[in-house]
Amino acid sequence: MKILIIEDEPELAKSIADYLASENYLCEFATSFHEALEKVTTYEYNCILLDLMLPGGDGMSILEELKKQNKQDGVIIISAKNALDDKIKGLHLGADDYLAKPFHLSELAARIYSVIRRRQFANANIIQQNELQIDLLAKTLLIHNTPVVLTKKEFGLLLFFMGNKNRVISKNALAEHLSGDLADMLDNHDFVYAHIKNLKKKLTEAGCENYLKTVYGTGYKWEND
Amino acid sequence: MAQATNGKMTKLLNTPLKVFTLYALVVLAGSIPAYYYIVNRIWLSEIDLHNKFVKRKIEKELNTIAINDTILAQNIRLWSHIEPGINLQPVAESTRKNDSRYTVMKSTVLHSKRLNRFRGLSSYLTINGKWYHLTVETNVEETDEVISNIAFVTIGFFILLVIGFIGLNQRISAKLWQPFYNTLNQIKTFDLSSRVPIAFEKTNIVEFEELNNSLQKLIDKNRATYQEQKEFTENASHELQTPLAIIQSKLDLLLQSKSLTANESEIIEAAHKALARTSRINKNLLLLSKIENQQFVDTEMMNVSQLVTDSLAFLAEHSETRNIVIEMRVEEYVYMEGNRILLEILINNLLMNAVRHNKDNGLIRVDFSKQGFIVANTGISNALNEASLFKRFSSSSSQTPGSGLGLAIVKQICSRYHWQIGYSFDNGFHTFSTSF
Repeated sequence: MKILIIEDEPELAKSIADYLASENYLCEFATSFHEALEKVTTYEYNCILLDLMLPGGDGMSILEELKKQNKQDGVIIISAKNALDDKIKGLHLGADDYLAKPFHLSELAARIYSVIRRRQFANANIIQQNELQIDLLAKTLLIHNTPVVLTKKEFGLLLFFMGNKNRVISKNALAEHLSGDLADMLDNHDFVYAHIKNLKKKLTEAGCENYLKTVYGTGYKWEND
Repeated sequence: MAQATNGKMTKLLNTPLKVFTLYALVVLAGSIPAYYYIVNRIWLSEIDLHNKFVKRKIEKELNTIAINDTILAQNIRLWSHIEPGINLQPVAESTRKNDSRYTVMKSTVLHSKRLNRFRGLSSYLTINGKWYHLTVETNVEETDEVISNIAFVTIGFFILLVIGFIGLNQRISAKLWQPFYNTLNQIKTFDLSSRVPIAFEKTNIVEFEELNNSLQKLIDKNRATYQEQKEFTENASHELQTPLAIIQSKLDLLLQSKSLTANESEIIEAAHKALARTSRINKNLLLLSKIENQQFVDTEMMNVSQLVTDSLAFLAEHSETRNIVIEMRVEEYVYMEGNRILLEILINNLLMNAVRHNKDNGLIRVDFSKQGFIVANTGISNALNEASLFKRFSSSSSQTPGSGLGLAIVKQICSRYHWQIGYSFDNGFHTFSTSF
């Protein structure tokens, strides 16, 4: 999988690349508008991470260029601006997602995972992992070919883990994923624990192996080789 | 700062009016004895002159007609009877003195009950070679009568002056000071955060024109500073996002380290939490300055009841873990026009506060209707400080890691839509009511 990180902040780009490296992603970098434009027109990527404020030009123009060339690369906008206008404009120009800085790497990974899957398996988007079978379009889960009913949030958590396999995810990241901006207004993140507990219980009861591990009581990890 | 004129304050123009009136009173009161003194002196000297004239006339006439002493004595007697003011007595030459003037009080034939004032001349003269003592007394107006007459006229003039002062004052106030009051009204309605520019009327009075120019300069400068300040907050928040994103990503990476101990992992989690709070404050500051900078201009008609219900549904799982009961009365299908993001933030912030600052096993009452949005919750047992409640970073409790900006944002959104937000504490309930 090839990812292009268009970001003028080298430290952030490096962190993203480091985090994604373990998941068979090959990351390339572009730190300026012109470099980015050159790369997106020359190569094909599974996913492009696009910062809107770039030295030399507006990231939106890159989106427009991609659209003009009818390129099929997935695009996730990562912006410090968090302006609704940008979001709407970006999505309208063909971006797949919009993530405001600062974000958790796990959140980014989950989104990249979802974008790539959507691009690759447009019609039959099914994740198969041993006894688990997740249908992303129908939003259903089969374990040993038996349906398991999950709530919307539990399903969301499961997908989040799928996008962050073998990596430790902090409770904070999960809380933010579950409740968006509202998460940081809440004092305790016990509700994360409650959802995880329910998900684990349902998986175990359906005869699923215990892939979901608690790490030091502060984070979670989905272990699967 | 004081807006209304309180008891001790007077209008600018009334102050000189009072002083002028008092001054006029003093001057006019002082003029009464002065007038009396002058009038009295003129009067007395006139009468003295008259008395002297009478004396000369008597002396001349009696010497000219040359009658004998017997007839003269008879005539003098008769005369004294008819004209008691004039008395002529024969005296020995040895008793003769110099002429003297005097003032005496005595009753007259006509007004026997009252004492009258007389001015007299005592003089000696010779008729047919014999010495006579002559006294001529002429009636003068009494002191009290003179004074009361002068006082009466003076008071009349004083009243006339006061009426004139008041009348002139009103006319001056209406005309001369009009530019001043125009300027005053302009300043009263001035709002630094509003974008409406202030324009002072032209005036042809130098001082007022100077005042207006100075005010204009002051306001322009303030406005520019305010604008800079607002932009600064927004820019600063923006600039902070990227370094925050870097820290966040580094912590996420650190968490992946295989050699991490439980203790280190806890340190990372604590740093994560603090970082989340920093990001939150930063985001909210940005939001606040965006609202102040009128950046949420898009409005749409939307079902606000639905927003409230959604928010309550989301909060339910958080309130349930702490056993907080939510009593809600939400009027359905209340449509309002506004910015969706802002309305969501308003509703979420108020409801979220009710959960966050509640106690375990507490209660939340939510009442939403066309008229307003009321959120009441149990919590700490004493009232919050209403004065600082809606200010930035004035969170009343230190143990809750809020951003300190939630209510400031609520207030800002309310003022944007001209809604009223109020706080009250009653019966253990903290109530925030928004009236649309």
